[in-house]
Amino acid sequence: MIKRVGAAGFDRRALLKAGAAAGLAQVAAPFVISARGEAPIKIGLANPLTGTYAAPGKNETIGIQLAVDQLNAKNGILGRQIELLVEDSTSGDAGAAVQKTRKLIERDNVDFLVGNVNSALAQAMAQVSNEKGVLHIVPGGHTDPITGADCKWNVFRVCNTTRMEANAVCSLLFKTYGKKWHFITPDYAFGHTLYQGCEADLKTLGGSITGNELTPLGTTDFSAYLIKARAANPDVLLVLVQGNDMVNCLKQISQFGIDKQIHVAGTQQELEPVEAMPPEARVGVWMFEWYWKQPAGTPGLDDFIAEIRKRTGGKVPTARNWFGYVTIHAYALACEKAKTIEAKAAAKALADLELPPEIKLQPNKVYFRGGDHQLMLSAFLGELLQTGDGDPENLFKVNSIVAGDSVAPSVTDTGCKMNMPA
Amino acid sequence: MLQLIFFNVTNGLIIGAFYALMAIGLSLILNLSGVINFAHGGFLVIGGYLAYALTPRLGFWGALIVAPFLTALIGFAVERLLIRRLYGRDPLYSLLLTFGLAFIIEDGTRQIWGANGLPFSVPAALTSPLSYQFFFITGYRMFMVAVVAVVVAVLFVLLRYTRIGVRIRAGTLDLETVAALGVNVRALRSLNFAVGIFLAGLAGVLAAGQIGLEPTMGDGLLMPSFIAIIVGGVGSLTGTLLGGLLIGVASGLTAVIFPSASEAVIYVMMAIVLLVRPRGLLGEEGMLS
Repeated sequence: MIKRVGAAGFDRRALLKAGAAAGLAQVAAPFVISARGEAPIKIGLANPLTGTYAAPGKNETIGIQLAVDQLNAKNGILGRQIELLVEDSTSGDAGAAVQKTRKLIERDNVDFLVGNVNSALAQAMAQVSNEKGVLHIVPGGHTDPITGADCKWNVFRVCNTTRMEANAVCSLLFKTYGKKWHFITPDYAFGHTLYQGCEADLKTLGGSITGNELTPLGTTDFSAYLIKARAANPDVLLVLVQGNDMVNCLKQISQFGIDKQIHVAGTQQELEPVEAMPPEARVGVWMFEWYWKQPAGTPGLDDFIAEIRKRTGGKVPTARNWFGYVTIHAYALACEKAKTIEAKAAAKALADLELPPEIKLQPNKVYFRGGDHQLMLSAFLGELLQTGDGDPENLFKVNSIVAGDSVAPSVTDTGCKMNMPA
Repeated sequence: MLQLIFFNVTNGLIIGAFYALMAIGLSLILNLSGVINFAHGGFLVIGGYLAYALTPRLGFWGALIVAPFLTALIGFAVERLLIRRLYGRDPLYSLLLTFGLAFIIEDGTRQIWGANGLPFSVPAALTSPLSYQFFFITGYRMFMVAVVAVVVAVLFVLLRYTRIGVRIRAGTLDLETVAALGVNVRALRSLNFAVGIFLAGLAGVLAAGQIGLEPTMGDGLLMPSFIAIIVGGVGSLTGTLLGGLLIGVASGLTAVIFPSASEAVIYVMMAIVLLVRPRGLLGEEGMLS
């Protein structure tokens, strides 16, 4: 009994203190806001922070945070500070991604939505953002329909479409390695459209496919698929899986010595998995969507590298950092151009927006295509380096940087019918 | 085709041996403590990362020996501090606890070593395939199977012929009577838990040589291990070993005929076993008998 009385006493005091604190906060809150002029612009990010895509998800967040900090240091967007709200969408649970998106839009009232690394989750989020009329940029989900058959007035994409990736590398692989191809494809939206793109390109080039191994997302052991692939005796083994699956697959390919019998290559490659592989697994011709080591004189590149290093414990930026960085700066530029953050006006300003040099950080013209809202970004073609070329951080030798609009299918071919609201 | 089937059966046995290593650790803990250890994949990750951290100082071989012991030590502490409090309660409590632990370990690893995977190489002597024909049988995979065989043999001998081993087996069958006979059941369970976690740590080091070392690497290996126990029969370590090998071969064979079902097939096997013989293949016999 005594204990209970004591507890009640404590509770009362705690309650009083909490009440006083709440009162103070109420007095203080309007003061803070008035000092800033207006309420901050809220940006909602739903991206994987856990699970198999946690690494790319976190790297996109780092790029986003960098851009937010840069803008806030220079008076924000239209004189208003930016507030970033981050939610974990999970790596593969569309239900969770939709729930987090609804929370950001309905409860937090975000002005702008960002996400998702996983193509399927990005598509699910786009349904919600479209229904709610919120401007939405997909930084790093590649499947075609997002800016193709399912394109929406409010949805834009920074990373490549799978078809752009296929077009960028297929003819090079065909010329370099031969015409009989075997595929290892992740069994979900991204993999399916990437495979279709490669299949169509290979048909045009006059090659043939010896097989396509569809592997579930999160496959750890690829040996059964590799046994089949080698038995089919192709000229090229194309690895289309991504992330940790890519690490596992290339690690096992090199242990089995398959790379010494068949050419191993692929389309999209990223620095995250390459850094996670032992040197002997870094083989083949690939494309990067953005790479940090470029010919000297790219404006703003050195600053960007230095800023990212500060935030990653000294690591060089990846394409994911760049996706996040571009997403926020593009949004800011569009709002400044439209002189409002209202979704429809900002969307109109974003369509056909060309990125300035210090944002695009690469040689070719980079712009959002008005017809499908797809960013025309360059493809960096080259070969993986096992231990770096005199520089241990340089794991990819860039042979050419191809302009995005030279590899993108035309808007009509993407299947996008854009309906901009009046 | 025949060659492809033969290849995949052999390959399945190799993968199955690895599942069995995980599953036997899980099975030990389940049998004596009644805890379904959802954090087993997490302890595997700890083993792998400890090996990564130790390799620069001890080399691969040193790490292979030390990392599992350190993992077992962590497992011992977790049992003493957390899991022991839930013995005797509904198994749901310990399941929830270990489920939460799995998340904590995953994110803790991410905090310490970063979200991105880390490169982990095995000694060059082990990486090359044994022959051009049997390219999928690499030195490393043979070594893995050998380690599993030795560890399982040692474990079976210990359980059969040492006093502690006999007590663990007896405890599996009737813990109350064992306690009534004056055996320190608390210490027995702690030790047994640590042995189970040692196997998870060892599996972690071995896995890191073959797949990417990253915070979620245990996830894909945990479910097959549970299924190995169910197929083989709860309470029987021999059954667990058999279950692991069986699901390895089954998924290898399905990969030849119908690749996209190679993951689903182990669940189908589990469903069939549960319908036809709910106690599992060797479940009715006592442990190791």
